[in-house]
Amino acid sequence: MALILEIRDARGVATWHRLDALPLTIGRGLANDIILDDPYVDAQHARIAIDENGVAEIHDLGSVNGVHENGSRRDAPVVLQPGAALRIGRTVLRFRDADEAIAPALVDAPAVQPTTAPRVSALPRLLTTTRGRLTLALIMVLAYAFNTWLGDTDRSSGSSVFGAALAFAAFAALWATVWSFVGRAIVRRFEFAGHVAVISLAMTAMLAWSTAHDWLAFFFPDARILQLLYMGIVLALLAALVAGHLSLSTILPRKRQWRAGFIVSGIMAVLFIVAALVADDKFSDVPKFANQLKPIRAAWIPTKTPTEFSGVMRELKDEVDKAAKKDADR
Amino acid sequence: MHFTTRFVRTTIFAIAASMAPLVLPAQEQNAATSEIFRRYADHVVKIQVVETGSAAKASIGSGFFVTDAGHIVTNYHVISSLINSPTRYRAELIETDGTARPVTVIAIDVVHDLAILNSTLRNRPRFTLGPASIEQGNRLYSLGHPRDLGLSIVEGTYNGLLLHTLYPRIHLTGSLNPGMSGGPTVDEAGHVIGINVSTAGNQVSFLVPVDRAVTLLERALVSTDKTERPSLAQVGRQLRAYQDVYLHDMFDANTKTIELGPFRVATQPAPFFRCWGNSKHEPDLPYEKVRHSCTTDDDIYLDEDQTTGSVSIGHELISTRTLNASRFFSLYAKEFATDNAPSGEEDYVTSWKCHTRNVQSDRTTMRATLCLRRYRKLGELYDGLLKLAVLGRSDVGLVTTLTMTGVSFENVDRLSRRYMTSVTWR
Repeated sequence: MALILEIRDARGVATWHRLDALPLTIGRGLANDIILDDPYVDAQHARIAIDENGVAEIHDLGSVNGVHENGSRRDAPVVLQPGAALRIGRTVLRFRDADEAIAPALVDAPAVQPTTAPRVSALPRLLTTTRGRLTLALIMVLAYAFNTWLGDTDRSSGSSVFGAALAFAAFAALWATVWSFVGRAIVRRFEFAGHVAVISLAMTAMLAWSTAHDWLAFFFPDARILQLLYMGIVLALLAALVAGHLSLSTILPRKRQWRAGFIVSGIMAVLFIVAALVADDKFSDVPKFANQLKPIRAAWIPTKTPTEFSGVMRELKDEVDKAAKKDADR
Repeated sequence: MHFTTRFVRTTIFAIAASMAPLVLPAQEQNAATSEIFRRYADHVVKIQVVETGSAAKASIGSGFFVTDAGHIVTNYHVISSLINSPTRYRAELIETDGTARPVTVIAIDVVHDLAILNSTLRNRPRFTLGPASIEQGNRLYSLGHPRDLGLSIVEGTYNGLLLHTLYPRIHLTGSLNPGMSGGPTVDEAGHVIGINVSTAGNQVSFLVPVDRAVTLLERALVSTDKTERPSLAQVGRQLRAYQDVYLHDMFDANTKTIELGPFRVATQPAPFFRCWGNSKHEPDLPYEKVRHSCTTDDDIYLDEDQTTGSVSIGHELISTRTLNASRFFSLYAKEFATDNAPSGEEDYVTSWKCHTRNVQSDRTTMRATLCLRRYRKLGELYDGLLKLAVLGRSDVGLVTTLTMTGVSFENVDRLSRRYMTSVTWR
């Protein structure tokens, strides 16, 4: 059984070495057997050798940042088996079996199946090519400009539409710049267009969902589940946004990216709930209600009769009475 | 007008407490006036509401003796803080020589803004309340303590009962000032014609007709019923009883309607409503708005910052020739969302709660929102706000609002249902 060392650097680039001639040394210095271009790696960082039982082990040579396994630093030699994963500086070392099974090669036959192949890759291509990323940004800016145009019926609608387009473009650019610098600091990649694509996709999805929610709230003003659904999807979009940015600016595994995204959403959810409870508790003489109106044939709108509405009024009375009683008890 | 009345009532109450020095216009004096002042000055006393904590006066007003047993007539709004916070305030009368005597409130009529006080002073010079005949143009004399400057007499002219009010009021052309509230206005023969109550400024002042005081005094003298002790619960009961009379037929099948664009809507629900209209046509705006609204002029004073007892309706027609359906509806939705709910104070009312449904009444499909809030201390009284937006056309819409304050839930329910059916396509 030959052991294969897979080295994946902070940029995600991988190289493979067959470990035949042991011992060997790993480090940034050019005298090593395996040279790692990683500023967090010592000149002479570690040594891989066979112990008296014939087992391969890695020894930390007193490096500054050490050898990590499963997130914690190992000062004692670590036994190397297929499947083991270590981290040295910001470089990931994985040990694999030369005989491990691999998937068969994909059939490269676009001419045979022209209809399915491009469609599967449309979204990845939008997200990975520069042209695709800029298209996403353009779609987002145009969608918000159009939405502003729909909502602005006063004199200067032209200038406010242009202003909104500019504001959203500027916001996306600023946001993407911040993330790009984060990425440069962590993985030394400045992925501006990628981050622009992530924020654009999230904001376009947000606009689409809030438009859809408006229609749903117009048709079904009494569906209480809608509010929950609305918040749920907004939070999921937020998690996706965070995960998307992390995928470009860190080397975290995908699962951890999503976990971070959902932690951020969870914190936002708690803040929303606290804010809602505080607002609910605070006195206000301004009523809030479902005020959506949509242009559609009256016959297609689900309606109640005035008598049924009277029942709704009675429910409302009970709620108000309950609130008044709660206030009085306090 | 709506605003003025409320504002002025507030000032009567509030400015008196602040004791702001003010120069009054010189009174035109003549022999009759000085004779009347000499004859009736000792019938009138100053009423003072004192905060028990600080022992300082919170507000002042006037009152006058009406029985040998020491009963005094004044306005409800002069002593309303006592009803609202009985433990925080007490009332006293100040005699001409400055002596303070405690008084108790034994009866109130919040609708007509009257109260009967009882004092320990017996056999004081007093007025006898009773019917008096009077004609428009007759000279009247109002007595009271304007801005705590000492007892004064003001000449005025009787201008009849106001025609279109929910609560009867005499129109007096003369200058009533804060602090004169609760004082008597008499004719040359010394008959009490009315009780000073409010002013709209510029010599336009209002009196409560004396017959309301006669009724209240009779009730106070015969009643031994403990449950009828003046309290906020009683205020609530009086408001409910009164509204049941005037709201009963509102928006029934005989309600007057007008045509507004392609719609037919209610107008002038009762004689005591005043209706106004205006429109917004501007050449460079892509839409037009026409507004028609009707409101009761008067509301009932509850406390410094809270009035109640008014009903109003408002129609807003929006139409466009140039906007497409989506843009028109975003404008329409904004109009529907505009806040036109009456304001409120946390001490008095709960926050609003609203329910919205799409409703079809006859052939009219509409978005209907009812908002409701409850009075905290007045028993089962509510403020209701019904908003409707008619659906079905993409170039014209109607947002119409029914606002009811200080009404029972039964009235909210009945009026809302009737109001919904009153909005139709032409």
